[in-house]
Amino acid sequence: MDTIKVIIDGKECVGEKGQTILTIAENNGIEIPTLCYIKEVKPYGACGLCVVEVEGIPKLLRSCSAVASDGMVINTQSDRVRQSRKIALELLMSDHTGDCKGPCSLNCPAGTDCQGYVKLISQGKYKEAVELVKDRVPLPASIGRVCPHPCETACRRQMVEEPISIAFLKAFAADKDLKSDNKFIPEIKPATGKTVGIIGGGPAGLTAAYFLATKGHKVTIYDAMPKMGGMLRYGIPQYRLPKEVLDMEIDTIKELGVEMINNVKIGKDITLDDFKSKFYATLVAIGAWKSSSMGVTGEDLNGVYGGIDFLRSVALKKPFSIGEKVAVCGGGNTAMDACRTAVRLGAKEVYVIYRRTRAEMPAEKVEIDEAEEEGVTYKFLCNPVEFIGENGMLKEVKLQKMVLGEPDAGGRRKPVPVDEFETIALDSAIMAIGQKISIDGFEELELTNRGNISADTTTFRTSIDGIFAVGDATNRGASIAIEAIGEAQKASEVIDSFLNGKMVAYKKPFVSEKIVTAEDLRDREKISRAKMPQRSAEERKHDFDEVNLGFTDEMAISEAKRCLECGCHDYHECKLIRYANQYDIHPERFCGDKHNCPKEQKLVTIERDQNKCVLCNLCVRVCDEEVGKGILGLVGRGFTTVIKPEFNKPEVLTFCKDCQKCVNNCPTGALKSL
Amino acid sequence: MRIVVGQGSCGIAAGASKVYDAIEALIPNTDSELTFTGCIGMCFLEPIVDIYDGKELIKRLVKVQPTDAEKIIAFINGDKNAVNDIEICDDDKAFLEKQTRIALRHCGLINPEKIDEYIADDGYAALKKVLTTMTPEDVIDEIKLSGLAGRGGAGFPTWFKWNAARQSQGEEKYLICNADEGDPGAFMDRAVIESDPHNLIEGMLIGAYAIGAKEAVVYVRAEYPLAIIRLEKAIEQAKEKGLLGQNILGTDFSCEMRIKAGAGAFVCGEETALIESLQGERGMPRLKPPFPAQSGYWYKPSNINNVETFANVAWIMLNGGSAFSAMGTENSKGTKVFALTGKIKKGGLVEIPMGKTLRDVIFDIGGGIKNDAQFKAVQMGGPSGGCIPAHLLDTVIDYKALGATGAIMGSGGMVVMDESTCMVSMAQFFLDFTTKESCGKCIHCRIGTKRMNEILNRIVKGEGKDGDIELLEELCYSIKDGALCGLGQTAPNPVLTTIKYFRNEYEAHINEKKCPAHSCTELISYTINPELCKGCTLCARKCPVSAITGELKSAHKIDNDKCIKCGACYNNCKFNAITMD
Repeated sequence: MDTIKVIIDGKECVGEKGQTILTIAENNGIEIPTLCYIKEVKPYGACGLCVVEVEGIPKLLRSCSAVASDGMVINTQSDRVRQSRKIALELLMSDHTGDCKGPCSLNCPAGTDCQGYVKLISQGKYKEAVELVKDRVPLPASIGRVCPHPCETACRRQMVEEPISIAFLKAFAADKDLKSDNKFIPEIKPATGKTVGIIGGGPAGLTAAYFLATKGHKVTIYDAMPKMGGMLRYGIPQYRLPKEVLDMEIDTIKELGVEMINNVKIGKDITLDDFKSKFYATLVAIGAWKSSSMGVTGEDLNGVYGGIDFLRSVALKKPFSIGEKVAVCGGGNTAMDACRTAVRLGAKEVYVIYRRTRAEMPAEKVEIDEAEEEGVTYKFLCNPVEFIGENGMLKEVKLQKMVLGEPDAGGRRKPVPVDEFETIALDSAIMAIGQKISIDGFEELELTNRGNISADTTTFRTSIDGIFAVGDATNRGASIAIEAIGEAQKASEVIDSFLNGKMVAYKKPFVSEKIVTAEDLRDREKISRAKMPQRSAEERKHDFDEVNLGFTDEMAISEAKRCLECGCHDYHECKLIRYANQYDIHPERFCGDKHNCPKEQKLVTIERDQNKCVLCNLCVRVCDEEVGKGILGLVGRGFTTVIKPEFNKPEVLTFCKDCQKCVNNCPTGALKSL
Repeated sequence: MRIVVGQGSCGIAAGASKVYDAIEALIPNTDSELTFTGCIGMCFLEPIVDIYDGKELIKRLVKVQPTDAEKIIAFINGDKNAVNDIEICDDDKAFLEKQTRIALRHCGLINPEKIDEYIADDGYAALKKVLTTMTPEDVIDEIKLSGLAGRGGAGFPTWFKWNAARQSQGEEKYLICNADEGDPGAFMDRAVIESDPHNLIEGMLIGAYAIGAKEAVVYVRAEYPLAIIRLEKAIEQAKEKGLLGQNILGTDFSCEMRIKAGAGAFVCGEETALIESLQGERGMPRLKPPFPAQSGYWYKPSNINNVETFANVAWIMLNGGSAFSAMGTENSKGTKVFALTGKIKKGGLVEIPMGKTLRDVIFDIGGGIKNDAQFKAVQMGGPSGGCIPAHLLDTVIDYKALGATGAIMGSGGMVVMDESTCMVSMAQFFLDFTTKESCGKCIHCRIGTKRMNEILNRIVKGEGKDGDIELLEELCYSIKDGALCGLGQTAPNPVLTTIKYFRNEYEAHINEKKCPAHSCTELISYTINPELCKGCTLCARKCPVSAITGELKSAHKIDNDKCIKCGACYNNCKFNAITMD
C-alpha cells in the first residue's frame, strides 16, 4: 500500500495513494462540510460545500472526488473556500421552506424546546420532558405556574382553536418529577476549581447558578432576603405559586453544590470589591425591587403602598391592615396579584383603576377574569390625580376620566384626560405601576440612561471586567421571569467560556422559519384546549391556597397530543442548519422564488417535504447504487428540478422495499419515517 | 448549365424550397440541370440561386422569389439580362471574397447529399493519406503542428486530447462529435453538417484512427432535423463506398459511426453531460477528474470534439499542419467560423483567419450596423461569453486577447448590438437562458443563476435596489468559482462584462429608474407636447389600449396608467409631438 503525505490546514496528514482529499482529511480528524457525500455511494459533487483550495491549482476542488497526490498543500478554511460554502448555504436556505423550530420555542425568551417536551409528555415520558425543559429552565414547576407564556402566544394551534397549554404542561411534568423518588438531577462536570459569585437569588441568579454548577464551577449565591427565590417568592402570591414548590426546586439547585447565603446586603455586609477578589467571575442579578411612583399628590400618605412592597410584606407575613376599601392602580400582572391578594386579606371593596380599557390591559386575560370572579371591580378609563388624606391617613382618591386617543409608538391607544372627575373613599391604595432598580451598593457599575445596570447584550459584561449582569436590573429594566432566566442561561455559557480563558459572546442561532396561515391548518380537527381545574372563586378568595388544581395524567397527555409539531423533526441532526450556523449565513440577501410543493406521503412509511429538499440526490443514489432499486429520479430542470419517482411514474414506488435508507441518509428533514 | 439553389435550413426558411420547386416546374424545357447545395453563408441574401457553366459560377442571384423562376429560365435560354435585377451586387460579393474558408470550404459549393461531389473535391483523400501513409502518432503530431484548438468554445489543444485518449489504457475507446450547438445565435455546426457532412465524417474517422477508436458517435441536437437527415444519408453513402465500417479503404482500420439525437438540453453541450445523455441517463455533468480521455462513454477512454474542430482535420492532413499554423496569431492558429447576427447589415457565416480584428468582421465583412446606427457592443460566445464594447473593436480574434476583455472566443456566436440595445436586458436575456438550461445539479448554478436572474429582472423593471450591482458581482464570482461545470462557471460572464463596460446603465436603471437605451418598457414614458400636437387624432387611433384622448384639432394627452409602452403613437406621429423618456 502506497502512502502519501499531504499538508491540510498546515497539518501533515498521511493517506493512501488513490484516496480523495476528503477521505484523508476525515481520517485525520479534519472536518470538511458536505451535504451530498456519503462513503457508500459514488461522489456526486452537487452541494459544493466540500470545496478546498490546493496550492498551485487555480480552481477550487471538490474534495469528495479530487484524489490527493503526494505533497499536496490543501487549505480547507481559506477565505475563498469559506465564501464559496457560505454562498452555497445562503442560496440553499433562500429556497428552503420549513420551520427548524416551532414558533413556541422561538418566542420563548429562554428558547425552551416546548415542542420537544410537549411531545414527551404526550408519550408519558415525564422525566425526559423535565430533563429537556431543564436544559433551559431549572425552575419548571414554578415557571410553569407563573409564566405569561410567550410560547402560547405564538402557538399556531390557536389558528385551529386555542393554543396548547404549554406552561401548565410544563408545571405538570415538573410536579410529577418533584414528587417522584428519583427526580431529575443533571450531570455535573468535573470540578474546574473556578468560583462564581452570584448576587441575587431570584430566577436569574438561580438559573445561572444551576448551569454554572453543572459545568463544574463552584457557585455561591448571596441574597438580601431571608430566603432564595427573589420575586418568585416575594412578588408572586402563594395562591399562584405555593412556596413549597419553589423550595423544592431551589433544593435541587442546592443539591448541585451551590452555596446559598441569605440576609446579605451588598454595600453593607459585603462590597462589590469583595466579590472581585473572592470570585473568578461575578454575576449581578439583583432584580428591580422598588415600586415606581406616579408623582401624584398624596402618594406619601399612610395607606398608599407600592405594589411589590405590598406583595412582599404579605409574603413575609408582616402584620398588615389594608382596611375594607382598596384601590389598586395599574393594569399589569402585579396589579392583578395585588388586587387578588387584597381580596384574600379581607378587603370588601377592591377596585382596579386603569387608564385604558380592559382590552389594553397588559395583565394576562385569565388573571383579569379570575380577579373579577373573586369580586374585584374594574374602573377603566380613569387615573388618580390626587390622594386625599386626613391626619396623614389616606381617605379618598380623586380620579380623572380619560378617553382613548391615537395609538402610540407601541400601537396601544393613548389615554387622553378629559375634564371630568370622580372621588372614591378608600382605606388603602396600592400603586402597581412598575418597578425600579435600587442601585445601592452597585454605584461602581455604569448605568443606562434609564438608571439600570448597563450590560452588553451578547456577553452580559458590565463596565467592570469579570462582573456580569442579567435580568430586571439591567438595560431595559423589569420584565417577566422567563426573560431573566433566558438571559441567565446565556450568560452562564458566556461566563463559562470566560472562566475557560476565552470569552465567547452569545449569538442568536440562525433558524429557518416559514409562514403558516389558518388556511394551511383548515383540515385539522378542532379539539378544545384542556381547561385547568380550579377551586371556585367563592372558595379560593378566602385563603391563599393554590387556585389551580393541576392536570390529571389523562388531561395532560391528550392536551399534549394537540400539538401540531411545527418544528422540524430533524433539527438536531440536520446538517444544513448546522453548517448554516457555522458559516454565519444571511440568506435574506437572496430572497426570491421558492419551491412550494405540497407535503406528500410516499407509500405508507415515509413522509416527504420537498420544500426542505436540498437536491443532494442521496435518496436517489442510495436507492439506486446501494439498494439496487432505483425507484427515485430527478424531474425537471434548473430551479424547478425535484426528486420524484423515476420517470415521474408513481407506480415504480411499489418496488420500494421499505429499507428506510433514503430517510436515514437525508441530510435535512425532507424525509421522515412515519 | 447548372442551377444550384442554396438549401440550408436558413435558405429553406427564407423560401428556397419554393424557389426550387418553381424552377423545377420549368426546367424540363431546358437542357440545364437543377440541383441544390447547403448553406452558402449569406443569410442576408437568402434565398440564393447560383448558376454555373461547368465549374464556373457565372451568376449569383439573391433574394430570389418563386416568381423569378421564369427569369432564370430565360437567362439560361440566352437572355443575358433576364436576371440583372436579382444579381448580387459587388459590395455583397465581398462578403465571401474577404473570407478564408477551411472548415466551410465545401459549403455552398457541393451537393451535401452526393458523396461523389465531395470526393470530386478532394474528399476522403486525407483519410486515404492517413490510413495508408501515417501512424496514429503521426496524425497527432500533425495536429500538434497545426496548432488546432477546440472550436467548441474552450479552445483546448486538440492534439493533447487526442494524445491523452490514445495513451489511455484499454482496447475499447470512443470518438464523439459534439454537435449539440445550443448557443442562441450560433449556427456554424449546423451549416457544416447540412452543407458538408462528409467533411465531418472524414475528420472524425481520422480522429478515431488517431486515438484508436472503433466506434464514433455524432451527438446532434434533435432541433437540427435537416442536419440529421443529411448526415444519415452521408453515413449510408460512406458505408456503401467502404469509407465507414470494417476495413476502411481496404486497411486494418475499422470504425462504425452512428448518430444520437439529443433532446435539446443546452447542458448536454458540456462533454460529461453529453456522455451521460449518450448513456441514456439524465443530462447532468460528471465530476472531473476523471476526464473523458480516461473515463468517458461507458467509462471507457473517449475523445470529444466539436463539429468545427473535425471540419478542419481533413484539410490539415492534406495541406499539412504548418499550412494551418501559418494562419493566425502566436497562440491561436488557423481560421475561425463566426455566426454573425443581430443589428448587422450582412448577417451570415464568416470564416476568417485568427488575428483579424472584430472591426474586420463586423464592419469590413459584415458591412457595419443596420440602418447605419451606432455600434454599441458585440456579444461573443453566447450565454457563456461576454460583451465587448465599441472602444475594444480593434481587439484581435485570438483566444487570449478575447479572453482578456472578459468575453470568450466561444463557439463563434457574434451578436451585434446597436444603441437601442439595453445592456442590462441583454444580460438578463442570456441569464434567463442559462437559468432555464441549468441541469439543477449544483447549488451555485441551480439557485445562483435563478437569484441573479431575479435581481436583473427587478433592475430592468425599475425595482432595483441600492447594492444590487455589488450583490450581482458577489454572486457572479461565487458561481464562477463554485459551479460544477462549464455552464455554471461561465453563466455569469454576460453579467460581469456588462457591469464592467456598462455599469452606468445598471446605475441608471437602479438609481434614476431610467433605461438609457429606451428599451425597458417599464422605464419608458411617452408624453405629447401640446405645442407641437396638431390634434390630428392619428395617435389616438393607433393606440391599441385607448390610452390617448383629445378633441380633433386640439392637443392630445396620454394616460400613463393605461399606456402599455408599445410606442405606436411615437412611431406614427407625423409632427414629432410625442417624446419618449
